[in-house]
Amino acid sequence: MSVIKTVDRSTARGSAREAASASMDAASRPLRDKRRGQGAKAQLVAWAFLAPVVVYLVLFYAYPLYRNLDLSFRDYTLRSFIDGTADFVGFDNYVEVLTSSTFGPAILNTAVFTLVSIAVQFVIGLALAVFFFRKFPLSSTLRALFLVPWLLPLLVSASVWAWMLNSDSGVINSLLGAVGVPQINWLTSPQWAMVSVLIANIWIGIPFNLVLLYSGLQNIPDEVYEAAALDGANAWQVFRRITFPLLRPVSAITLLLGLVYTLKVFDIIWIMTRGGPGNSSTTLAIWSYRLGFGSGSPELSPAAAVANLLILLAFAFGIVYIRLQSRMARA
Amino acid sequence: MRNNRSLVTTVVGVILTAIMLFPLYWMINVSLTQPTELRKDPPNLFPVNPNFEGYTRVLGEQLPYLGTSLLIGLGTVAVTLVLSAPAAYALAKLRPRGGTTLSFVLLTAQMIPGIIMAMGFYLIFNSWGILDSVGGLILADSTLAVPFGVLIFTAFMSGIPDDLIAAAKIDGAGAWRTFRSIVLPVSRNSVVTVSLFTFLWAWSDFIFASTLDRGGDLQPITMGIYRYIGNNTQDWNAIMATAVVASIPAAVLLVVAQRYVAAGVTAGAIKD
Amino acid sequence: MQYSERNIVITTTHRVRAGAALLLATAFVGTLAACSTPTPGGDTAGGSYTLWDPYPDRDASSTWAKAIDACAADLGITIERNSGNTGDTVKDMTTAAANLPDIAMVDNPKVSTLADAGLLTTAAENGLDVSNIEPNILSAGEIDDDVYGVPVGANTLGLYYNPAVLEAAGVDIASVTDYASLTAALEKIVASGKKGITFSAVGTEEGSFQFLPWFWGAGADLTELDSSEAEAALQLWTDWVTKGYAPNSVISNTQGTSWDEFLTGDFGFAENGSWFKSAADDAGYLSIQVPGIDGGAAPAPTGGEFITIPVQKDTSRYATSTKIVECLSDGSAGADALGYVAPTADGQAAQLAADSSLEFWIGAVGDAKPRTADNLGISYGVISEQLYTAVQNALSGAASPADALKDAQAAAAEKLK
Repeated sequence: MSVIKTVDRSTARGSAREAASASMDAASRPLRDKRRGQGAKAQLVAWAFLAPVVVYLVLFYAYPLYRNLDLSFRDYTLRSFIDGTADFVGFDNYVEVLTSSTFGPAILNTAVFTLVSIAVQFVIGLALAVFFFRKFPLSSTLRALFLVPWLLPLLVSASVWAWMLNSDSGVINSLLGAVGVPQINWLTSPQWAMVSVLIANIWIGIPFNLVLLYSGLQNIPDEVYEAAALDGANAWQVFRRITFPLLRPVSAITLLLGLVYTLKVFDIIWIMTRGGPGNSSTTLAIWSYRLGFGSGSPELSPAAAVANLLILLAFAFGIVYIRLQSRMARA
Repeated sequence: MRNNRSLVTTVVGVILTAIMLFPLYWMINVSLTQPTELRKDPPNLFPVNPNFEGYTRVLGEQLPYLGTSLLIGLGTVAVTLVLSAPAAYALAKLRPRGGTTLSFVLLTAQMIPGIIMAMGFYLIFNSWGILDSVGGLILADSTLAVPFGVLIFTAFMSGIPDDLIAAAKIDGAGAWRTFRSIVLPVSRNSVVTVSLFTFLWAWSDFIFASTLDRGGDLQPITMGIYRYIGNNTQDWNAIMATAVVASIPAAVLLVVAQRYVAAGVTAGAIKD
Repeated sequence: MQYSERNIVITTTHRVRAGAALLLATAFVGTLAACSTPTPGGDTAGGSYTLWDPYPDRDASSTWAKAIDACAADLGITIERNSGNTGDTVKDMTTAAANLPDIAMVDNPKVSTLADAGLLTTAAENGLDVSNIEPNILSAGEIDDDVYGVPVGANTLGLYYNPAVLEAAGVDIASVTDYASLTAALEKIVASGKKGITFSAVGTEEGSFQFLPWFWGAGADLTELDSSEAEAALQLWTDWVTKGYAPNSVISNTQGTSWDEFLTGDFGFAENGSWFKSAADDAGYLSIQVPGIDGGAAPAPTGGEFITIPVQKDTSRYATSTKIVECLSDGSAGADALGYVAPTADGQAAQLAADSSLEFWIGAVGDAKPRTADNLGISYGVISEQLYTAVQNALSGAASPADALKDAQAAAAEKLK
């Protein structure tokens, strides 16, 4: 398309309009033919660039996914890993999972955990991004420091939060106690277990949101802000009418990635509460692991079924995102 | 007047950062606490009677693990960049047929939970003979970052003006030459951002390390921590000390790279 | 596209290229260095054998590693040791099913799970001699008269107490003989300003392990989780937590964390294992056996790892593997290194001779009972999961002890059909 533009410009610079359009026709015809002939070659080149990633995808994603599907449609016991026999049972594992008493709580907890996490992470990340955008002394150092929680292994972050939220010897309760709040059993009561893992997960997710949203803010040209200042808009109006709408594509991808990653979250919840007490902080990811490896009697096939349900859920959200994106592009 | 406002903002910034980093402070506090006071109720807000045994153990035992983690981190960055940058260029600029499907597949690929990937990799790596090796872990950790890298690079490279590419084409450059000499240099900021994400994800990976490198001679720091977790006991001083020591190189990296992180992922390639 | 921009492009290209080259070089060198890991089960003269154990905290300089090295030297072979987290043993063995180690140390309640999966060989298949192992310790590795491994040693649970705290509260340890008197003692301790008792009720096998002395001590049976005896035991724990005699953190405590709580010196009692004996001696703590509901000592469960010989493609390896197993379980070297009571009568006698204060724990292990006893075998894993879930639900207030146990029994029965 840009080639045609260049051609347009150079020929139009010349003589009379008819001559221009005539020579334009003459000039563009061989170009059009050239483009069609090069169409196939261009595709080959494009796919040559993509080939390594495609091979990579097939090897490293398609295979584990296939294994997992296989696990879920058969009845795998530990013995099957030795002698390779596992009966094909169709959808039995899925039925068992969908009718289990843990299914309801798991779905509900997954929904609450994911939606609250990404919403709060996003809002805090956006607020911090806007705050740090103001370029005050130390702003870039402080912003870099905000990313430090990210570089801790999850085992450690989860353990530190478990320490801080311990009902009896945790620092959070002692600080709250100092202002008169009665002891909250963060990790051990069914009411508070979900809140505890949410707090830890939000803390861990803020850096990711901060980085992406901050760079989105940087993409908004200064002229837009200058124009708004000339019109006399105040900070809140600028944010609502200009910044936020212009951030939409970056926000969308941040929320979608946040959703996909949060659905998979496992380590934090497992280390802090193991999904307990009971099922009060059990999400689909936790339930899958617990079925497969978390108890004394491994049930690998139902675990695979739960994991596939999780992937389906993420997939559904992915489709919603694509639809939204094409609607935004058309608008 | 402006200076005062900046100063107030800085103070607010420091307070916010302090709140965010409080758990890190707590980690340091626990690492220095005496074993008999670990579960004191109420806990000491400062390490009043510091105990450096955790650090002594860690500095004597964990440095090889840190080195391995560094190696794995850098290796993962290299593999991720090599795989994702060219692919993103194709998706952003070369308009391949089926490109949208591929993008969607990449998005879906990130939805597979880690334990499933790990179990699949075990079987693959076992037949390739790369279990318990650094190279194997690098490959496994790259799966955490490649789809994300493609996504970010594509978003950024779409913003490179087509004029630039067209000009190169007129000069006679092929797609690869254009990629190498024009697109890559101008993508420096997104390269840094993708590298940062990749390094941090590889640095803190546990599930792949524990499944695929259980017995290797070279293990990353996330496995090194397990030296302090016995079957009935845990040495929390050492565990937290390991975490503190492991955080230092990555923190240094972050502060040094902040200039590039500041420059942003989707920033325009050429300022008018 | 001006001259200066092209310059920038060229210099950045060089920098990017150099950086990328450096990264690739590092990765390449690293991969080369790492590719030289030896493969397990090599066929060199004398042989190389792999051993997996769950003690990553015992490194090459520990007495355990030295005990292994000594056995290797005796047999003229090399033993490659590989440690992983105990919670991951089943997962690691499952994932490695095509490539199992020569020797695997498995926590005793997991032995039947792995045996049932066909991952372990029996004594009949591998030629192991188990005649001098104490029967009550060995039975955790027996399914239907087949023996799947040998214990490296055994541990069990007891009730540690802090004499200083008890004295300050006016509690005489001799008066603590049953549930009622223990609760009364806790009440006194709490009244004196200290904390009562700490234990581990976490939602894992550790939680079941810790609950079993009280469960069995009340006369309950693992095949009937909803009996009135079981309810009495769970009610005891629940009352302690609601009255504040035991801290709320027991719900998330591991045994290690519970011990750390006890070490603060604020607690009167702690239920914990024989492996803390030397730590207790250092701190001046003493121990009694867990009391039964109406007096006497409650049966406590045995713990400790079994040395098993997983299935190998080359069956000629079993001959040497059994010698390694015998070397580690004979005498008391292996057990001492791990802080366990030796599995043979001779080994126990040797330990007693070396340290007479071990008498209490050797006696406790002699009175202890394996978790997979009463022919429970692999059902134990299923029952245990329901048991610790019930304990979690009752202690956290999500359900009453009666309801929690009823649900547990129903779920266990359903899964075991």
